[in-house]
This record gives sequence, C-alpha cells and structure tokens, in this order.
Amino acid sequence: MPAALHGDVELTDPEEKTRSRALNQFLAGVELKAFKMAQAALRNEDDALDAVQDAMLQLARAYANRPAEEWKPLFYRILENRIRDMQRRRTVRGRVFAWLPYRGEDDEEEPDLIAQARSPDPQPVRRLELDEAVGALEKALGALPPRQQQAFLLRTLEGLDVAETAAAMGCSEGSVKTHYFRAVQALRAQLGDLYV
Amino acid sequence: MSPVNETATEFERNARVVLERSLSRIDARTRSRLNQARQAALEAVSRRHPLWLRGTTLMPATGAVTAALLLAVVLWHREPAGVEMPLPEAQGSSMEDIDLLADSEALDLLEGWDGPFYEWAASQTDAIGESNG
Repeated sequence: MPAALHGDVELTDPEEKTRSRALNQFLAGVELKAFKMAQAALRNEDDALDAVQDAMLQLARAYANRPAEEWKPLFYRILENRIRDMQRRRTVRGRVFAWLPYRGEDDEEEPDLIAQARSPDPQPVRRLELDEAVGALEKALGALPPRQQQAFLLRTLEGLDVAETAAAMGCSEGSVKTHYFRAVQALRAQLGDLYV
Repeated sequence: MSPVNETATEFERNARVVLERSLSRIDARTRSRLNQARQAALEAVSRRHPLWLRGTTLMPATGAVTAALLLAVVLWHREPAGVEMPLPEAQGSSMEDIDLLADSEALDLLEGWDGPFYEWAASQTDAIGESNG
C-alpha cells in the first residue's frame, strides 16, 4: 500500500483538512529545492535528506497553524539551523576520527553515468550543455562560504526576495545583499560566461 | 542600473535555468524519500491534534454536555441540606467493618491472633470473678 496521502489522514474538521492540504502543497513545492540547498551545504545526499525531513517535521509540528505566507521563510530558517547543526556535528566527528582514512567527497563527485548517457531528447546538445553547466555550478557553489551559498540559492533557486531571504537567514537585508553580491561575483569569476 | 547589476541579472537568469535543470535530475529514490518525509510531517500534524480534540467547532457543545452531566451527578448524590440522616444500625456496623478492613494495623493484629490463649485468659478472668463474688 502506498504511503498515506494527506487526504488519507482522518481529519474531521474541514478547516484542518484545508490546512493539511495547503501544508502538503507547500512542502511538495519546496522539497526538491530544499534538498538541493541542503545537498550543496552538506555535500552528502543522506544528510541532506535527513535535514529536509527534520525541517519538514519541525515546521509541521510547530508552525502549521501559522499563516501560510510565513511558512517559506520559517521553513528555510529551520532548514538552515538543521544544516548548521549537522555541519557542527560533522566537524566534531571529523576531529575525533581524523586518524581514519577519509573517503567521501571523491566518491560523491564520481560522474553520474546514467545522467551522461545518451538521451532520446530532441535537443540532446542543449541538454548536455545544461548538464555540464549543472555540474560546474554545483561545484562552484560548493566552494562558496556557507552564507554566500545560502543567500544565492534562496534568492536564485527559491526566488525569495531580500526581506524573505533575510528572515530565512536570520540576518539583516544589508547582509543578504552583501552575501548575494559576493556570491555572484565569485561564481562569475569561476564560471565566466558559461551561461550566457 | 550599473552594468555590473545588469550582468548579474543576466547571470542570475541563466543560473536559475541551470539550477532548475539540476532539480529535474534528482533521482526517483530521493524523490520518493522526500515524499515519505512530507507524509510523515503531515501525519505529525494530525497526531498533534488527536481526533477527539480536533473538532474545535464541537468543543462548546461538548463542554455544555459535560457540564450538564456533571451537574446531574452532583444533584443526584446531594443530601438534603441541614437534615442529619440517622444511620441505621446495620449500616453503622458495616461501616465499622469497613474501617477495620481499611485499618492495616488491625489486619496485622489479626494475623498474629492467638485464639486459644485469649480464650484461656478470658476463662481465667471469669473464674477469678466467680471465686471473688
């Protein structure tokens, strides 16, 4: 039996049903982007999934009754806190197990053979270009300082405005502008006119 | 707008296209796990409000019914004010039995009950009383 959909959860109150449906729609809309952001920050798929899952749970438990317009900044704020916690734990773990041979990023950066395989797409060249661009951008994003990376992804991928990004990052709008500007400069310096 | 900003906007637009493309490359396994995470979050919301508490619109009616039932129970068991009901003898003795049963010390004494000794002691007292009388 497939996982229960929001409609399967027994809800008697119509208002509660509507809220559950709205929350489902909201989470479905942000989950892929949130995963990408967590993955860029944590550079690990499983950790990224855990971070997104925790953020979803926390939003649902603590803020489901808040107005839906507030969900997005709240969700990304929770996600950011979760990512930071995981990075902190990873740093401690890294210090403790520093004597062990490291294997991680090299494995993660192995080329995706399926993604690189020939596609029956009518515009395979364009797709290939985009896929190459994706790889290059992801690599460049990974090299950015965390706050710049976050500001860039929230603004560019999620489409938050400066005020919403500031709320999500827990900083001033001026800081957002600075982080974002520096991120764009750094990415352009690395990627040049790849996208133009 | 400065040329730098114009360039950044163009860069942004292209970067967005690339990032959106990267979303479409997320594999089915990851999408499935994200879907499961979302369902778990939605279930957490429904668990947070148990079914019997969820119907907030019914709460006033539920409260009124509960209050009415409570009042009925209180009135049912209420004794007439200012009238001391005489306690029947049988009821009084049964109350004493209950007191005895509830008294743990009395039960302890009962456990150490030496019947023959107390019967002998009583007969001795009676015998002394008879000889004195």
